[in-house]
Amino acid sequence: MQYSRAVSAMACLACLAVWDVASAQGTPENGLSVGRQMLQEDNPGELWIDRGKALFYQKRGPKNASLEQCDFGMGPGKLEGAAARLPRYFSDTDKVQDLETRLLTCMVQLQGFTHEELVKRAISPGGSSGSDVEALALYITSRSNGMKVNVTLQHQKEYDVYKAGEYLFFRRSGQTDFSCAQCHGEADKRIRLQDLIHMTSKKGAQEVASTWPAYRGAHYVVRTMQWRLNDCIWQMRLPDLKYGSDVSIALTLFLNHEGNGAEIRVPGFKR
Amino acid sequence: MNGNGLNWMVLASAALVATGCATYPDPDTTRNLAEKMVGNSFSASPVHAKRLVQDRSQKICSKIGGAKLTREEAAEVVRLARASIKYPQDGRLVGDWKRGDQLAHNGAGDRIRRGKLEKRKENGALCQNCHALAPREINVGNVGPSLTGYGLQRGNSEAVARLTYERIYNAWAYTPCSNMPRLGATGHLTPEQITHMVAFLLDPASPINKK
Repeated sequence: MQYSRAVSAMACLACLAVWDVASAQGTPENGLSVGRQMLQEDNPGELWIDRGKALFYQKRGPKNASLEQCDFGMGPGKLEGAAARLPRYFSDTDKVQDLETRLLTCMVQLQGFTHEELVKRAISPGGSSGSDVEALALYITSRSNGMKVNVTLQHQKEYDVYKAGEYLFFRRSGQTDFSCAQCHGEADKRIRLQDLIHMTSKKGAQEVASTWPAYRGAHYVVRTMQWRLNDCIWQMRLPDLKYGSDVSIALTLFLNHEGNGAEIRVPGFKR
Repeated sequence: MNGNGLNWMVLASAALVATGCATYPDPDTTRNLAEKMVGNSFSASPVHAKRLVQDRSQKICSKIGGAKLTREEAAEVVRLARASIKYPQDGRLVGDWKRGDQLAHNGAGDRIRRGKLEKRKENGALCQNCHALAPREINVGNVGPSLTGYGLQRGNSEAVARLTYERIYNAWAYTPCSNMPRLGATGHLTPEQITHMVAFLLDPASPINKK
């Protein structure tokens, strides 16, 4: 009896502690952000980094090769800080590519996988152990942890795609009349209880640019920026956004550029 | 947005010096490229691909950086919106608030995943996503204004019912280019469903109007 009383007293103190922090921050929603903060400190997404690292150095695919010669823009095999500068223009493909499409280019060219197969599996089903692409994208981005997002526009195609991304951010269509801006154009907004990032502010764009790939609590899996865009488009009632599509790269270049200066910390943690 | 414009000009001229030629494209080039991207970035049946095509009002309402509408543009959006509104065949604008309550809390219907349309008996009205509803209801969004006490504040006269119906059918008839979807005009909701939403907002027995 005394024991259980002590336990409930402790539980009560713990509740009070959480409540105290929540009320100190002023608004009722912040009770939720305290919960998220607690989960973030023990982010299960960390487990995917080692898996991605193993996949990166392992000899795989029809060509039995590792990804060590993959060039993410800093030279073959140079991963430090590479993700911080993506998307960028690559002369060998003559395209602006984000981290994920560049990774696919290497998996096709170096390892001999087919593009179609990779795209089919890139986004894993919720509750699964995740895809190779998701783990690799996290590992490669994690090699920029602690560095600042620094997307620069130099090549003409980078300027063109950046402006297209901005245009697309505000392009309304479909039966909900939504563009990105309807949900992400103002501060302190929520869809039901879910906080929306204010992406037309510097701080909001920085959050976007520095927290993907992220562990998605509701899916028990690491998700990438390609997934995030695909899922938004689904909610907007538009047709399926292709993995690695031009629209996705334009939006990512626009947002990451606006988020320059943010310190990369992946895996992020999302509800 | 003015500050940004200035930054771009500074950046653009710096880039000109640095690379000789690369710089920001003009708006027509940007539009052409972006629209080409829309054309190649989605896998969609011809029917679903129509959702990507902007109507005249959507084009006007897609200003970069949320720039202000001109007076003429605002007038055109309002005119198109007014012309779009259809009324239920029996003319009754106030339906069943209980059905409206269910619809207000339903955010599903008509989404597309891997080419398959999410077909329900009917589309949800999506209200809960963006609007506060009954008093003390916590799981509600705040993108749109609170609807708590909507009928208490306005009464339930025929004029109020008509205005409410029209605002749900096509919000842009009163607030051109607002964030609110044109739920009736785009076909997301039927006129009958909208009468239930009107009842949910106006009926004194509805949870919206309880203290």
